[in-house]
Amino acid sequence: MDPAEVEFLAENQMVSIVPNFNFERIYLISGDVGPFRAGLPVQVPIWMATNLRQRQKCRIIAPDWMNTEKLEQVKEEESQSRFFTKMPSEHYMVEGHLLLGAASEDIPHADEIRTILKDIWDMRMSKLRSSVDAFIKIGGTHAKLDHLTAMEINSIRPLLPHALDELYKLQKIVRIISI
Amino acid sequence: MENADDVALSDEEPITAQKVLQTLQEVWLNEKFSPELLQHQSDLVDCILDQMQQMEENLQKLKKNDFRVVIHRMELDRIRYIVTDYLRIRLNKIETYVIHVLEQDVSRSTEDAFLSPPELKFAKEFLAHMEDHFRLIALRHMPSNVQDFDKAKMVVIPNISSHVFLRAKQSITGVVIEGDVENREEEVDLEENSQHIMQYKPIADYLKTGAVQLI
Repeated sequence: MDPAEVEFLAENQMVSIVPNFNFERIYLISGDVGPFRAGLPVQVPIWMATNLRQRQKCRIIAPDWMNTEKLEQVKEEESQSRFFTKMPSEHYMVEGHLLLGAASEDIPHADEIRTILKDIWDMRMSKLRSSVDAFIKIGGTHAKLDHLTAMEINSIRPLLPHALDELYKLQKIVRIISI
Repeated sequence: MENADDVALSDEEPITAQKVLQTLQEVWLNEKFSPELLQHQSDLVDCILDQMQQMEENLQKLKKNDFRVVIHRMELDRIRYIVTDYLRIRLNKIETYVIHVLEQDVSRSTEDAFLSPPELKFAKEFLAHMEDHFRLIALRHMPSNVQDFDKAKMVVIPNISSHVFLRAKQSITGVVIEGDVENREEEVDLEENSQHIMQYKPIADYLKTGAVQLI
């Protein structure tokens, strides 16, 4: 899958915004949003939030987890654990990227958050690489991937399933020969 | 004027449409990641296309600079992407596995057919054109004993042993995974909401009943 498609999926996540206009409820096919009251927070999908923000029609409120304190804690847990820890959002990296990209002035300590997110991502990717390596070496055929987020799974998609397919083919041949 | 539009827009039954859209998104991802062609979901697709059509009509009635127009258009574009990508993936698979999918559907009743009627027509035409093409370009110039267009020799079968990522939507016990290096069979239980990588074959049936979602 193209990373842009993972982003596309993440854009369906809801985020709070503070609009600077008044408008009644909008009936979208994917569900209702609004009503919009200037100055009052309201939940909208990210794709809508970034569009409204670009048109200077709202301010984006950072999700609960998107602050330095919480993320430092997540980072600490991730570094202490041998396994993957549960991320505060299924799309933490994409959400961070989209919201900080569209509205870095709205989110306090945007640059620090960006750095911590990148650190968490790097840590998890290196864990992922070493576990894939270990998994292939023991000749595994099934693995549990709990707490891996969509973008992380997508990053190993071109390689891991394909490698396992090839190994399976080789094993089948070995079995036929040894019979 | 404004009020009349609102009534028209709220007639969409947002809860149902929302559910349909959500299901379509799951169906789209399953089709995208499964090695074989899955059963067609024309009802879902038609339902969403109806919704979109209705929305387009409602948008026509709004003034060009109405605040809602941009938002609704964006949403329509997003849904249109899912629908077209879904149908495109299916066409791709139909082209690749044309002989196989046609053979499989012969043994199924109309209600259980994997191909929708238009897809069936497409598949048949595609195969006929392929045969015509081979005949015209090459076969008729061959010695008479190798002029046959032998479908059986050209079948491409999807690799259902390939590995996929999945999420269990409910708990499933006793999924049997084919032998590893030492040829040992392994049985695994999938907890609700857990994520896995494994071969497609053992979970293919669960995918069809909706117990797992490919990711």
